[in-house]
Amino acid sequence: MVETVKQAVATGQSLVAGGRALEDQQQYLTFMLGSETFAINILSIKEIIEYGNLTIVPKMPSFIRGVINLRGAVVPVIDLAARFSRGEAAISRKSCIVIIEVDHEEVQQVIGVLVDAVNEVLEIASEQIEPVPSFGAKIRTDFIDGMGKVDQKFVIILNVNQVLSVDEMAELVQA
Amino acid sequence: MSLDDAMQTFIIECRELLESMEAALLSAEEAPASEEAINAIFRAAHTIKGSAGLFGLDHIVSFVHVAESVLDKVRNNEIPLDPPLVALMLQVCDHIGLLVSYLEQFKEPDNDLLEGSAILQAGLSTYLSDTPQPSASTLPVEHDAPYESEGGTPVETDNWHLSLRFNQDVLRNGMDPLSFIRYLGTLGKIVSIVTLTDTLPPLDAMDPETCYLGFEISFSSTADKADIESVFDFVREGSQIHILPPRSKISEYIQLIQSMPADDMRLGELLIKCGTLTRQELEDGLASQRTVESPDQVKPIGEVLIEQNVVQPVVVAAALDKQKAVKDVKTAEASLIRVDANKLDQLINLVGELIIASSGASLIAQKEALPHLLESTSTISRLVETIRDSALSLRMVPIGGTFSKFKRVVRDVSAELGKDIQLEISGEETELDKTVVEKIGDPLTHLVRNSMDHGIEPAEVRLARGKPVVGTLKLDAYHDSGNIIIEVSDDGGGLNKDKIFAKAVERGLIKPDQIMSENEIYNLIFEPGFSTADAVSNLSGRGVGMDVVRRNIEALRGTVEIRSVLGEGATMRIRLPLTLAIIDGFLVEVGDSSYVVPLDMVIECIELPVTQAGHDAENDADFINLRGEVLPYLRLRKHFEINGEPPRRENVVVVQFGDRKMGIVVDHLMGELQTVIKPLGKVLNKIRGIGGFTILGSGRVALIVDVPSMMQEAEHAAHEHITQKT
Repeated sequence: MVETVKQAVATGQSLVAGGRALEDQQQYLTFMLGSETFAINILSIKEIIEYGNLTIVPKMPSFIRGVINLRGAVVPVIDLAARFSRGEAAISRKSCIVIIEVDHEEVQQVIGVLVDAVNEVLEIASEQIEPVPSFGAKIRTDFIDGMGKVDQKFVIILNVNQVLSVDEMAELVQA
Repeated sequence: MSLDDAMQTFIIECRELLESMEAALLSAEEAPASEEAINAIFRAAHTIKGSAGLFGLDHIVSFVHVAESVLDKVRNNEIPLDPPLVALMLQVCDHIGLLVSYLEQFKEPDNDLLEGSAILQAGLSTYLSDTPQPSASTLPVEHDAPYESEGGTPVETDNWHLSLRFNQDVLRNGMDPLSFIRYLGTLGKIVSIVTLTDTLPPLDAMDPETCYLGFEISFSSTADKADIESVFDFVREGSQIHILPPRSKISEYIQLIQSMPADDMRLGELLIKCGTLTRQELEDGLASQRTVESPDQVKPIGEVLIEQNVVQPVVVAAALDKQKAVKDVKTAEASLIRVDANKLDQLINLVGELIIASSGASLIAQKEALPHLLESTSTISRLVETIRDSALSLRMVPIGGTFSKFKRVVRDVSAELGKDIQLEISGEETELDKTVVEKIGDPLTHLVRNSMDHGIEPAEVRLARGKPVVGTLKLDAYHDSGNIIIEVSDDGGGLNKDKIFAKAVERGLIKPDQIMSENEIYNLIFEPGFSTADAVSNLSGRGVGMDVVRRNIEALRGTVEIRSVLGEGATMRIRLPLTLAIIDGFLVEVGDSSYVVPLDMVIECIELPVTQAGHDAENDADFINLRGEVLPYLRLRKHFEINGEPPRRENVVVVQFGDRKMGIVVDHLMGELQTVIKPLGKVLNKIRGIGGFTILGSGRVALIVDVPSMMQEAEHAAHEHITQKT
């Protein structure tokens, strides 16, 4: 499962790199947190790795799960469930770390995100994306980019730069 | 080399020259200037002017030219290099630096800058006006004598003749032949110039980056040959440059003509066109040449020249000497290589990866317990260690350069304060990481200014206290157990403990009844918003500065301590790590996590006495008896809130930082290792007690314990505990 999605991520990126991706036809990676489906624009995703070899960093807020060694670079891992104040995610066989690049002061920061399971790479046309509801999504509205309609259901498309806001997280680390 | 690269080199060179100029000026101020120092100053200005001319930077050339003229007078003992002139020259230095930095930022010189130039130029020209300098053209020509010759009539013209065939790659090397000719114009007057386009290929075969042009120039100047030659220093390689002094013999011109690949007559025509030769002269010359020409007469050019009394033997010897000197300088230069700092960083990163990989291999070898494998991995580890050391030493630079900048700071500040202060420097050869050297400048400046402003007393007070009138400020650097220590000390009044305490209370930093050690009180001056100066001076006393000093130093993983004796002086001691990238560490384990304690802080490891292990953890009186010494300790498990039960036997790592000792209780001791420090990253930047990450041979991430901050935190916690109880 993970392998196929990884491949999809890879091809998706090459598609974009080739300049053939359509403006209104963006690709998204969908994944599970508990029973809910979320999506992240594939452009910000570097890779997906299996969960493991995590080093716990002491005295951290619960959403910082620890750090991993990603080919010689130390990358912090964010527990997305804890970030959404839903309690720490339980680790299962399907747990994955999605490696994401976010812009911070014009420098790319690499951050890992712990999710319960990754599903697939989808194309969601822009007319299939609804605006953010002012309440009801159960997570902070600034975390949401939009609501994507997939198979008559809604998936929450996350605003990665807000969810993984380096400044905000650094503040919380200090506290 | 593109023009931009050449410009970059020019900027770097200028900076270096300005530095040496400044140093020479400062030394000239201390003691009567030696001839050597004055020459050094003059040379620096001259070289800057010359190089700037190459780039067609007229505003720099014209500015430096005035300074150079004044310096020339100094060199000729026409005017003394007195303190006001030194002060003016220092300003000139600064201004040239400013001009150069505009260049660096690709900024056009703005009005302020030009105004600055004008003011300084006006200041300089006062030195020139009292002994009016004869204008270049009226200077007597002194070069006639040596060039008098017997075998041939001198040509009629009074002009130099320059024959230039530039190296085809000159443009590709980032030089523009035109700029040389333009610069030549600053030495005299170009009477006429003929451009040779013979070698120019048809348009379709032409390479736009190749220089096909040659020039024949008739040049009127009072400059000597060396000066004119020096114009073309940069392009000499691969180019044919012939310079014939005024009134050279015809035969020389003939030789010149023959030495050129082009056909004789064509060149002769050119010389005529140039106005260098008359037709008659040329024809006579060529005719006489043909009559004497025979193969056995071919002699080395030097000999021929001597024989014909064109150049005196001494001149040839001098020229040879000069060539040798140039060669020597070149070899000295060759032993130094400028390397892009990024390349070095990349190398050090790779060495870091290598260290991790090699300790991974050692780990496997140990697990497999194969003797051969163990042997070869240990060889590799040793080699890797050597590579690490030499890679790191590439980044090491002596601190002397930073120290010598303070000569100027001390000079300026003491003038501003009206105090007489001398600077003593020692330990300039102490080496430390380039990044550290770059970043330590600002905090050091603050400390130096602070010592001068607050530390050293005014002369009257010093006299009353029976001290020498001249205050002394010392800068010293030395190595101490894996750290580098930089000391700023003064023989001033020292820190007044009571005054600091009172001020801190007034500022609300501490409570009036707080009990503090001497050191703690001194450290208050590093608190934000603290300042004891009664009057806010121009230099310090605004309460910014000292806290910035501490922050900057801590950012380099260093600390600053104060030693002070009231009435005798104070010493600020900065303690810094040697390098920022790689450390020797001591690996310990607590629960499932691995921690690395920097090895240079570890003194010893002991087992936690069992009676002590059973000690009630609720009580904060955690200390052990270390051979009669009280050693406070903290449990890493508790400090980092790590879950799980400690093992039956625990270990204590005794660490020392500065003069304080502490025990860190851990589960297991794993031994020494070399580690590459990985930065915490933006997200985890503000975490306390952890200095960074490192990757173990197994691929797992370990945390590097930040001993100083942990000590501070423990002390702070103890403090709060006591205050709560009372």
